[in-house]
Amino acid sequence: MKVSLNLIRKYVELPKDLTDEQIAYDMTLRTVEVEDVENTALKFHDIVVGKILEIKAHPNADKLRICIVDVGESEPIQIVCGGSNLYEGEYVVVSKPGAEVVWHGEGEPVKVGKTKMRGEISCGMICASSEVYLSDFFPAEGETEIIDLKGFDCKPGDNIADLFGMNDTVLEIDNKSLSNRPDLWGHYGIARELSAIYDVPLKKLPKYELDKNLPEYNVEIKDTNKCNRYVAVEIDGVYEKKSPIWMQSLLSKVGQRPINAVVDITNYVMMAVGEPLHAFDKTHVSGEKIIVRNAKENEELLLLDNNSIKLTTDDLVICDENDAMALAGIRGGKKDSILPDTKGIVLEVANFSADEIRKTGKRFAEKTDASIRYEKGIDTQRVDDGLNLALELIKEIFPDSKIIKYADVYPNKTENNKIKIEEKFLDTRLGKKIEKEKIEQILTALGYEISYNNGEYEVIVPTWRSTGDVTIKDDVMGDIARILSFDSFKAKPITITFEHFVKQNDVLLERRIKEYLAERCGFYEIYTYPWIEEKYIQSAGIDMSKSLKLATPPAPDLAYLRSSLIPGMLEAISKNLRYYDEFKLFDYEEVYEKGDYRPSSNDEILPIQKNYLTGCIVGKNAKEIFYEAKGVIENMSRYCHMEDIKLEKIEKANWADINAYLNITKNNEIIGTLGLLSVKVMTDSKIKRTNVALFEINADKFIPYASRTNEYERLPELPLVEKDLSILVDEEVAWKEIEESIKSKVKEVEFVDEYRGNQIPEGKKSITLKVKILNEGTTMTSEQINEKMNNILKILDKKCGAKLREE
Amino acid sequence: MKEKLEQIKTNGLEKIENVKTIAELEEVRKELTGKKSELSEVLKSMKSLSPEEKKTIGMLATEIKKSFENKLQLKEEEIISSMSVLEEPIDLTLPGKKVSGGALHPITQMKYDLNDAFLSLGFEVYSEDDISSEKYAFDNLNFAKNHPARQSMDTYWIEGTEEKEGAERLCLRPHLTGGSVRYLQKHGAPARFVYPGEVYRNETTDARHERAFFQYEALIVDKDISFSSGMVMIQTILEKVFGRKIKTRMREGFFPFTEPGYEIDMECLVCGGKGCKVCNHNGWIEVMPGGVIHPNVLKSAGLDPEIWTGFYINIGLDRLVMMRYGVDDVRLFHSADLRFLKQFK
Repeated sequence: MKVSLNLIRKYVELPKDLTDEQIAYDMTLRTVEVEDVENTALKFHDIVVGKILEIKAHPNADKLRICIVDVGESEPIQIVCGGSNLYEGEYVVVSKPGAEVVWHGEGEPVKVGKTKMRGEISCGMICASSEVYLSDFFPAEGETEIIDLKGFDCKPGDNIADLFGMNDTVLEIDNKSLSNRPDLWGHYGIARELSAIYDVPLKKLPKYELDKNLPEYNVEIKDTNKCNRYVAVEIDGVYEKKSPIWMQSLLSKVGQRPINAVVDITNYVMMAVGEPLHAFDKTHVSGEKIIVRNAKENEELLLLDNNSIKLTTDDLVICDENDAMALAGIRGGKKDSILPDTKGIVLEVANFSADEIRKTGKRFAEKTDASIRYEKGIDTQRVDDGLNLALELIKEIFPDSKIIKYADVYPNKTENNKIKIEEKFLDTRLGKKIEKEKIEQILTALGYEISYNNGEYEVIVPTWRSTGDVTIKDDVMGDIARILSFDSFKAKPITITFEHFVKQNDVLLERRIKEYLAERCGFYEIYTYPWIEEKYIQSAGIDMSKSLKLATPPAPDLAYLRSSLIPGMLEAISKNLRYYDEFKLFDYEEVYEKGDYRPSSNDEILPIQKNYLTGCIVGKNAKEIFYEAKGVIENMSRYCHMEDIKLEKIEKANWADINAYLNITKNNEIIGTLGLLSVKVMTDSKIKRTNVALFEINADKFIPYASRTNEYERLPELPLVEKDLSILVDEEVAWKEIEESIKSKVKEVEFVDEYRGNQIPEGKKSITLKVKILNEGTTMTSEQINEKMNNILKILDKKCGAKLREE
Repeated sequence: MKEKLEQIKTNGLEKIENVKTIAELEEVRKELTGKKSELSEVLKSMKSLSPEEKKTIGMLATEIKKSFENKLQLKEEEIISSMSVLEEPIDLTLPGKKVSGGALHPITQMKYDLNDAFLSLGFEVYSEDDISSEKYAFDNLNFAKNHPARQSMDTYWIEGTEEKEGAERLCLRPHLTGGSVRYLQKHGAPARFVYPGEVYRNETTDARHERAFFQYEALIVDKDISFSSGMVMIQTILEKVFGRKIKTRMREGFFPFTEPGYEIDMECLVCGGKGCKVCNHNGWIEVMPGGVIHPNVLKSAGLDPEIWTGFYINIGLDRLVMMRYGVDDVRLFHSADLRFLKQFK
């Protein structure tokens, strides 16, 4: 919304020494966000009134003329002009060199200079309205038509900004910050805020005395839930003409295009006090009766452009005896237009229910200046403000007009809210004592009536704040705090009571796991969207029967919500393969599936939501990345200080390779899978020329230890004896069997290497293992060591058929 | 003979002086002090001398040997202290070996930094699930029945529930605030906790707008506290993020779940508050909303607003990371693009 400070100053006398920027700043801190401060006169610099003294033909151009123009300087200037409506003695708008104009009304402003046009000097421009920001005042008829100031009280050299009331500052207010303040959708409401902020008096709005004996206009409200009040005034002697320049100027500055005096008056009133009005040509109202009712089945509203809109029975319409004339509070139809033959009007000043306007407006996807205001909830008393101001203006602009009939049908009145506030409440919540006089000053300026009795304030909330905005004492406290400015309250330290330390083991575990993966194992963390492209879900072979869908997804193929992080990981892998051959990623987020989960209350049944952890290692050597990923899982419990997880081959996940997979288990329950990505999934998801080791775990199954958990063992007094053994075994023999067979005989056994090759017979493999033996009592001799090793080899032979490999 | 010895001494010391390496030194040591050295030869030929002479020459010879040994030792020390372990030259400008390792997502990094700060103030960390209901996302938070955010143009409703109401109408949470009521219902008051998380809004995306983004919310509920205490939380966040105190201002703002509500602006760090393109020429940048918890929200949480009060602050993590590092496209956070992620350690 745009606010003219000139109009504000009509309602409140602002302190003299204030800059416009300061006003904007104070309002931003206390009331609404001012996004921009525009001095509307600036763009008119060096644009003045000129009088054409003489017109000569241009020797080199048929369409151009040479004008000698008086611009109020000692000497007239010469301007070459192609205007079609030039005549000697004409008052025109001249842009002198240095002025900035919009060339032909298009694009960014450009600076006018002193030039030669076809060989003739031209010291400026005689302008068309679109070139000098005056289209609102002079809707140009043709491209070459320049502004003719006939009828204006002006003399050469007068600045155009003065002539058109443009010496003003316009504040641009963020409409979002106004959404909860129906009282601020007019200048008067803003003026009231400023009167509270600067402690200066707010002037009263005009009061129009209506003749009490006027005949009644026939108005009928059929649905009093939707229409709270309807005032109709029939006025003769009102017709289509231009409104005065001061009114056009104000409307133009606040973004309303001037149309004719009648429409301009209704718009002006809406901008001034925030009350929408409507004027019908009185002859268009058949039967001299206005009916406010719901639309009939299949009824239509004919618009000015002869199109029509289909109404529903929920839509409130303003009708005459026969037809709908307007969609209540939203827009008019053809029947309400003011035309050249208009001789009198019926003025509507009404109040409609906010919900009704919002619903209907939504149905027609239409917001108008009127509907934006109504849907915020305007008090019914505002009708009086609007009516009084409108009648004043009509009397001023149409001095011969006459009010013929009048009606005020008023089924529902906005009641003032009444609120009690204990003084102690204010002191505590504000964090400092505000003097009673200050509180009274602020609240009175905002329109509250306030009384104080025995440590308690009682306030009567003004009607314009009683439509939902101010209902409880906290709202009143908020008004006091903001007018004082939140910034004027010093930050108060918060006291703390020591009962227990913050004890959140699962929060810590999540962090340990993420840091383990990122910092120890070299993974990069990613975040993915909860909605997943269907093709990735399908290629990962995820069962979609339990998946949830969005009612209005971001795109048709993004309807499914993830039940696994694997599809998102596939997408991330395939994208990153464009730039990297080898990388490691992990994603730790929630997945969802249909189910019954009630985290907070019994009536709320949510789907099942679990934290999943998925990681991938991408690289060429499938075995290598598989064992690397296996190492990441195997070491996780130890490094992250949580209960053990195990790896066993039980059941293949859909995405896993037919051979290379292991399930991740905890207490014999499968909680995840580790494996190589299958050839099929890689083909389907276009992951080429590489391999992927993947794991996915239900992280909610991890149980954190309550503290760092390590086990201490006394250091051996003598060094361990280490020996590497290379043995030949059958392909079928698993490392696990080898390890288990000798585990009890040695201190430690470690896998070193596996080898298949030329020197190894078909069907066999060579395994190198390192065994560590404890020295018992004294250092063993080499004979003793050999004996031990031979024993170990014998066991290996017996249990695994292993033979020592000849070097 | 004496002259010969003097000659040996002079020659010997000179030889030692000219030695360059340890190997040469050992060579010279052998030559000068070994069994086959000239000195030994001289001593061997002493038999023919008188006992008097033997004594003089012997002493002289011993002295020369000693002086050789001293000189050798000095030389050895000299050589060792000027020796390098390297046999070849070294290019000190070659890069050092890369430290391998991944990284947490920049949003997680920011989240953990803030968690640490709030933990030091005694806050707990709470997290709500992604999918919530209209009851918790809107009703409990005092959103008007017809609030536009409840529409599917704004919120992602779950298929099959979009026409239902309240607890039965499910959505991807549009903000974190609903989690505050869940926590308070479970743990009661007093309470102080932060609840970071991801939220979802039906939006058209561009470099500044996302459908999924991250928020960080902090809440205190206690007795008899004033709204201005909320400033402590604001200062904590900004100081932790930017490493120094940041100038802020609070101004009027409206949110259904607060009364009063405020917007918090921080001084524009690009221009230092003078006004520039980044801050739209007013010197301030909007960073977070906050406010006193609306009594209706406390009631939803089962708390008596006559006894309890408190305040929220909520900050957009994406925005904060973007400001901190000058990231110019919010969609990068969900891109999983390693070229982006590798820049944050």
